[in-house]
Amino acid sequence: MSKVIIIGAGPAGLSAAITIAENGLDVLVLDEYMIAGGRLLGQLYEEPNGNWWNGIKESQKLYEKAVELGVKIYLNTPVSNIEKIDDTWVIYTNTETYTTSHLLLATGAAEAPLPIPGWTLPGVMSVGAAQVMTNVHRVKPGYHGVIIGVNVLSSAIAMELKLAGIGVECIALPKMNKVTKESGNPMDVMNSLLHVSHMAPSTFVKLGSKLMKNEFMKKLGISFFPKSGVKMWDIPIMLRKAVIEIYGDGKVEGVKVATISPTGEVIAGTEEKIGADFVCIAGGLYPLAELAAVAGCPFYHIEELGGYIPLHNERMETTLDGLYVAGNITGIEGAKVAISQGITAGLSIIHNYGLSNQEAAIQAAIHHIEQTRKEAFIQFHPAVKEGKQKLKQHWENHRNSKKLEILS
Amino acid sequence: MEKEMIICRCEEITYGKLVETANTYNCTSRELKLRTRAGMGYCGGRTCRNMVDSIAYSSSERISTEITLKYQPPIRPISFGDLGAVER
Ligand SMILES: Cc1cc2nc3c(=O)[nH]c(=O)nc-3n(C[C@H](O)[C@H](O)[C@H](O)COP(=O)(O)OP(=O)(O)OC[C@H]3O[C@@H](n4cnc5c(N)ncnc54)[C@H](O)[C@@H]3O)c2cc1C
Repeated sequence: MSKVIIIGAGPAGLSAAITIAENGLDVLVLDEYMIAGGRLLGQLYEEPNGNWWNGIKESQKLYEKAVELGVKIYLNTPVSNIEKIDDTWVIYTNTETYTTSHLLLATGAAEAPLPIPGWTLPGVMSVGAAQVMTNVHRVKPGYHGVIIGVNVLSSAIAMELKLAGIGVECIALPKMNKVTKESGNPMDVMNSLLHVSHMAPSTFVKLGSKLMKNEFMKKLGISFFPKSGVKMWDIPIMLRKAVIEIYGDGKVEGVKVATISPTGEVIAGTEEKIGADFVCIAGGLYPLAELAAVAGCPFYHIEELGGYIPLHNERMETTLDGLYVAGNITGIEGAKVAISQGITAGLSIIHNYGLSNQEAAIQAAIHHIEQTRKEAFIQFHPAVKEGKQKLKQHWENHRNSKKLEILS
Repeated sequence: MEKEMIICRCEEITYGKLVETANTYNCTSRELKLRTRAGMGYCGGRTCRNMVDSIAYSSSERISTEITLKYQPPIRPISFGDLGAVER
């Protein structure tokens, strides 16, 4: 029996493993993928200070450090179930069963799809799949593609595709329907983009965001938004055109786009075709919390954090004894935040194990998460901080109701 | 076009079918799943879960204190051989 088991070898899981091993506890990390690093592997961009954030290198550093410290890492090992039997967490993989008293879930995030007619054609993939093919496997997903969904992730990955010499014809909105909703509404998309304008390399967007502080200017901005789009890294970003269909005979051959009104309605007669040999769908990210759900954690849906979040406190403890969470399972944020959460979870585990008092270190680590969040280069939701506040409130309420139960 | 679009690939449930069912019964995503089988295929709803949720919540209120489309183990595909493996 390993002292501590971590599910997920992404930045959160690996950082937690390092922290725990440094304090002398045995750690086993399980991950279903064939390379350690999680979603950090695909990341590649230039930070405002001119440094390049190379996910493969960062992953290697974390992996090597963990291995040096004696952390066992089993790859190609999907966990299909966890349950608590007496005081022990039992972890089921396809072939082996493991047990521990302290289990950390660091399973990260998953991508949500946007359904567009034709989205089941071969050659259509999630934008994250294109990122992994390009940056991790070094295989071009195609020669010229179209990205559907305008958001932080799609613009970051569009730039990565460009760097790899892959053509991106345009980034356009999906046609509005009951699933795509806000991501098909130019006003809503514009609003969410304005919050990330600090990372927009286009001066137009930067200048624009200053001008568009008030609603009237925003409406004007979206009405006059050039139909052919605004270029970022030479890729047209189209807020007034939506993809209404992906077409092709047996595989992607292109997309049909149409001009849309500022509120997302398709304007008849404006349809045109754009040729492409692959299409990426960027529907946003949500926390991958399946294992926390089968374990029986209470959940809250918090929009700002990307979806259903297993209830936990700032020390990364869930309401279940011996079960911890860290990284994107606690809300969608960048890799640096995930690392700081992993460290915090690691310290909490050492502390609760009773080996040494880590109270001061835990407080410092919690503070460090907030600092990292504040300085984050990539922010997936403008109101992450408010989302965290909501979660804290749910935790307090839960604790108080438990106290009442004990009293009565 | 949009009506025939597949949402649940495993069970081949279309957008049209889901929207029509949601409108007729004003149902939660769990009920929508049970009525149409969307999300009940072999991938366990890993692809369509969010879409089924979105369609349901465009005609009924989201329940924010629980996951409405329940996760069931095994959460990853596992072969019968592995599942029933006995020590030799
Ligand atoms: C497609 C995509 C692109 C992203 N791009 C960026 C970006 O450009 N910049 C940025 O800052 N952030 C990006 N993110 C956010 C990213 O999630 C965080 O940066 C960071 O990687 C989160 O770290 P984590 O350790 O929580 O999870 P992850 O890095 O996702 O690692 C989780 C690990 O858990 C494993 N796992 C999950 N479930 C199981 C299971 N049942 N059994 C076994 N193993 C399991 C996975 O294989 C994975 O290796 C992206 C996320 C996604 C999904």
